[in-house]
Amino acid sequence: MIFLVSLLVIFPLYWMLVTAVQAPEVTLRYPPVLYPIDPNIKGFHAIFIEKQMGQWLINSGFVAILTTILTSILSILGAYALSWFKWRGKMAFGLMLLFTQMLPEALIVIPIFKIYSNLHWTDSLATLSLIHAAFVIPVGVWILKPAFEGVPKEVNEAAQIDGCTPMGVLRKIIIPLCSPAILAVGVVAFFASWGEYLIAVTMISTEGKYPASVGLASTMSQLDTPIQTLLSGAIVYGLPPVILYMFIQRFVISGLTAGAIKG
Amino acid sequence: MKNRSSSRFFHAKLPYLLTLPIILLVALLVVYPITQAIWTSLTDKTLGAAVDEKINFVGLRNYNSLLHSSTFLASLRITTTYALLNVIFSVGAGLLTAILVNKKFKGRGGIRALMTAPWAFPDIASVIIFIWILNSAFGVIGILNQHLPFDTSGGWLTSSPYAFISIIVMSMWKTFPFYSIVFLAALQGVPEDLTEAATVDGAGPFQRFKTVTLPSIRPTFVLLALLAFIFAFRQFSMIYLTTGGGPERDTETLVLAVYNTAFKYYDLALSSAIGVVGLIFTFLIAVAFLALQSRAEKSNS
Repeated sequence: MIFLVSLLVIFPLYWMLVTAVQAPEVTLRYPPVLYPIDPNIKGFHAIFIEKQMGQWLINSGFVAILTTILTSILSILGAYALSWFKWRGKMAFGLMLLFTQMLPEALIVIPIFKIYSNLHWTDSLATLSLIHAAFVIPVGVWILKPAFEGVPKEVNEAAQIDGCTPMGVLRKIIIPLCSPAILAVGVVAFFASWGEYLIAVTMISTEGKYPASVGLASTMSQLDTPIQTLLSGAIVYGLPPVILYMFIQRFVISGLTAGAIKG
Repeated sequence: MKNRSSSRFFHAKLPYLLTLPIILLVALLVVYPITQAIWTSLTDKTLGAAVDEKINFVGLRNYNSLLHSSTFLASLRITTTYALLNVIFSVGAGLLTAILVNKKFKGRGGIRALMTAPWAFPDIASVIIFIWILNSAFGVIGILNQHLPFDTSGGWLTSSPYAFISIIVMSMWKTFPFYSIVFLAALQGVPEDLTEAATVDGAGPFQRFKTVTLPSIRPTFVLLALLAFIFAFRQFSMIYLTTGGGPERDTETLVLAVYNTAFKYYDLALSSAIGVVGLIFTFLIAVAFLALQSRAEKSNS
């Protein structure tokens, strides 16, 4: 039974792999051929040579790295404030994060575009990463907050006796002790940005600057694109996050389900 | 844990400095755009409006026309149906599969790792796969239409109600394996001695599930139901790139309505008004989430 379910889960991915290397005339056969016959890599060749897949992947990587750096730093600072300090406005700050996390980007992407036009920030990969960061930071904070809270109080007291300032405690104790959770935030931020489509397609208009999500979607809308080309693109774009997420699933689960904002 | 952590430091300025960058970012990219959307929704602005064209303040006229617009009311219905079906099918399938996997067997670790795959797979890549699979002429599911007792010759993504069914199935494929993993973690937290005690007392498997397992995974269940609802409510790219909201406007959820009203029908003001309705929904969902959290915390302590 469970194997049947896993089969259903994995079949679309398997079918992607098979069709991508299948010769076009085989994919049109009826009934469908369920395994590769005489596999070839023409699709991969086409998506990289005829389309700018290489450039698109680099663009996605660039936006995602900037998003990751920004998200990691700001989430560390935010989670530190939420987990180790008493301050007025803490509750309001948590609420703001929660609301941002749940907000569908589609509701405000048009006003954001207007603001970006006025600032001359459109069609830029660097400023695109700012928007991606804004929407993924809440998740980052929720992943880090319980990890920071788990650092024993005694460690902190000892550090203070040794003359550590609050920022010193963060830098020398909390960050090293919580590095697995911080790494998880990095991975989540990277692939949130990597997978994002709507904001990217709204902000970026030059084809050479397309991130892979936008590049693939535009290739998809050209109806004469062979399915092997499209699926090859989906493979090189889609499999890296799948492989990495398998390693960090534990943290992702806690971050997505632990939106506790009580201080 | 809570009390201990909150009393570690008291520092007058530092927490504000720490959170300032986030606050600035959210102010610029969330709060300010929201005020713009609210303002635009009170005017008669169109997408093609020239820079010097006079924009009139029309009060609540856009909201009034929404109330009388059958497309908008249909869009609300579609959003709710889509979200609720997501909750029922994805969370339900997640729970069922978790119960199945919650036994020791060979290859369990592998299956768990495999279950994260669809969740991590990017939306656009998933769209490409499903468009191919559902292709009416050559798709591996699409060609089944010759053998089905009902007429799907209009295409799985281009005729009703199959387009709606297709986006439900896609969302389900993408989310239920993840919910399954979360349920599994919760199931493994159910104390074994309780289950054993129930067995000794003569409880059958179904009764054991009802009296022991279900109460202890209830918080997870409610949380995932809410998460599934939020996921469905936010979902844009998978629907937009498969059906575009069509056929007609049969799969146009609220977020697609905001986009299509602006870019297909050029009515920026009306689009903003729909957006504001969406913002109110988001707020209500966030409040529900909070209420749930505090209840869970109370029951923990």
